[in-house]
Amino acid sequence: MALQNSTSRPIKTVSFHQTWSAYAFLAPALVILFLSLLLPAVATLLMSFTDVSFLKPTNFIGFDNYIKLFNDTRFQQAVGNTIHYTVGVTFPTMVLGLLAAVALNQNVPGRIAFRTIFYLPVLTSLIAAAVVWAYVYEPYAGPLNGVLTRVGLPPQPWLQNPSLAMNSLIIMAIWRDFGTAMIIYLAGLQDIPNDLYEAARLDGAKGKDIFLRITVPMLSSVTFYLLIILIVQTFQVFGAIYVMTQGGPLGSTETVVYQMYQTAFGYTEFGYSAAMSTILFLTILVFSIIGTRIMRRKDA
Amino acid sequence: MARLELSNVSKSYGAFDAITDVSLAIEDGEFAVFVGPSGCGKSTLLRLIAGLDPISDGAIRIGPDDVTRRPAGTRSVAMVFQSYALYPHMSVYDNIAFPLQMERRSKGDIRQQVEKAAGTVQLSTRLKDKPSKLSGGQRQRVAIARAIVRKPKIFLMDEPLSNLDAALRIEMRTELTQLHKELGATMVYVTHDQLEAMTMADRIVVLNGGRVEQVGKPMDLYHKPVNRFVAGFIGSPPMNMLRSKVKAIESEYYSFEAAGIGTIVIDGLAKRLKVGEEVVLGIRPEFLAPHPAGSEPLVKIGVVPRSVERLGAQTIIHSAIEGQNFTCVFAGDQAVEPGRDLNVYCDAANIHVFDAAGTTVGRN
Ligand SMILES: Nc1ncnc2c1ncn2[C@@H]1O[C@H](COP(=O)(O)OP(=O)(O)OP(=O)(O)O)[C@@H](O)[C@H]1O
Ligand SMILES: [Mg+2]
Repeated sequence: MALQNSTSRPIKTVSFHQTWSAYAFLAPALVILFLSLLLPAVATLLMSFTDVSFLKPTNFIGFDNYIKLFNDTRFQQAVGNTIHYTVGVTFPTMVLGLLAAVALNQNVPGRIAFRTIFYLPVLTSLIAAAVVWAYVYEPYAGPLNGVLTRVGLPPQPWLQNPSLAMNSLIIMAIWRDFGTAMIIYLAGLQDIPNDLYEAARLDGAKGKDIFLRITVPMLSSVTFYLLIILIVQTFQVFGAIYVMTQGGPLGSTETVVYQMYQTAFGYTEFGYSAAMSTILFLTILVFSIIGTRIMRRKDA
Repeated sequence: MARLELSNVSKSYGAFDAITDVSLAIEDGEFAVFVGPSGCGKSTLLRLIAGLDPISDGAIRIGPDDVTRRPAGTRSVAMVFQSYALYPHMSVYDNIAFPLQMERRSKGDIRQQVEKAAGTVQLSTRLKDKPSKLSGGQRQRVAIARAIVRKPKIFLMDEPLSNLDAALRIEMRTELTQLHKELGATMVYVTHDQLEAMTMADRIVVLNGGRVEQVGKPMDLYHKPVNRFVAGFIGSPPMNMLRSKVKAIESEYYSFEAAGIGTIVIDGLAKRLKVGEEVVLGIRPEFLAPHPAGSEPLVKIGVVPRSVERLGAQTIIHSAIEGQNFTCVFAGDQAVEPGRDLNVYCDAANIHVFDAAGTTVGRN
């Protein structure tokens, strides 16, 4: 798996010449990395201690942006929305991905076709998918309400009702992400030695016991990996919200990244937006570190 | 504990016949060893008995029950895998307890059984560890404890010692034999190592190409192999084979013309051979001696030692006759020099004769 690489190796003495040529080969990548990641990150961090804006001269204001942020009820709502979205997407995606993977790992007819169908949403462009789903959720002519009225249920204002909009976005995200979870789980399932299943069968284990006592625990490092990448990914949701709800109705789908975007480019409060960005960055960093730690402990 | 009976068992994978028409009975409490070269179907046969693969034809009975159609796990059979197949995420305790947990036994009962089984394989102090913390031999013991704890009617073991180093293998060999005595269990043990088979088995089943070549006690296979394959497979170093022709027959004395040796006279053969018939003469290396000894007719063979291994208790001489390896094992330390002509002697009664089809020509 991608996250479980470098364990501590004994340090070798490498000649100056070798070190030098190693850096020479790394240089292009390092330059790109510096310009595209490190430089903007440092700039953002610096910006978060200022009140930079188009409208007035820039001042260094220390931690003022952060203090303001912690008392900002709109930001708190955005954090709440983000957590709602993350939890709502991550867990169903993993459960559905696991079930699909286990089902399609068996020798069932049409499994290749099903794998492809389940994975297709991952390959669609996010914006295109969002446009299509906006149409599906359309209250008057949308197919979803069409189906509801046909079976005698009341039509719903999916994206217009503050208590429904976020869940509508979550459903779309699950549709899009569970193919990824399925593929990763399928790869994990292939890594479980067949011997274990045979031993378990001989030990008298049946389907449910085998699933809960062998399959699920043997997939635990895959599960942690998925959990972390899904959390990190859903924390940064933006595109679907931008296309489908613009954070509305009544801020019910305004997530941290969408608010960041609004603050910077809507209200031109770049410094304040940079502070939000820094907080988000630190949160993601913490999750990534926890993730790698757990994975490394499991490997040991 | 129970008797295991296979009747006309066959297994094919598509057009490939992995097991063909195997019939054999393993008695209650017997230690049976399946032996044969790689790919001969040993593992396949074991998996059929366990129920891991369905059989294509025939029937399997365990005790009084026909288990042919019963799924794995309901046959009262435990298996020790070559890879051990321990559950890596479970502690040693849980590994051993797993089969009992599947039977939904009470916690107290499980604890008692696991501790007893762990005691038997001397792992009582390692119950909390994960398998990854154990040595190869200890993992092996966990796998055995997991089998014991179920109190199965039949134990199946697929090359359980092949992943261990030589010293540990010999130690575990003795332990397994001991365990078999203690449990009085019916065991079927698979190996491709004929030495393991000889030392452990009550009875050996020699398999080749999915068929049974011979079933018998180790010493029966050694002294009375039914064919050339068994003769060559059992015994180490392997039996020397000499291509020969029947030259003359005088009452019960047969003269053979052996390529590169000359005439060999053998008496008391049960089957009538025709003059001119092609045969193979087999001589075990350990039945060759540097001095004439034993009863007439004696056979004298001239060899040129290519290399000599002086081990103290034995002296092993490697040479070749007509391009075929010819090995002699002398008892004790013998000062044999490579390159210098040497005559070796063999009692003709100890020479095996195989006809053109490879079947042993018996003795009166
Ligand atoms: N699932 C399968 N599909 C097709 N052929 C198989 C399958 N399992 C085994 N075989 C074939 O059946 C034959 C016997 O295999 P088996 O594993 O029983 O050999 P073995 O005697 O245990 O050999 P080894 O000593 O190498 O373990 C082999 O030729 C193998 O290729
Ligand atoms: Mg095998």
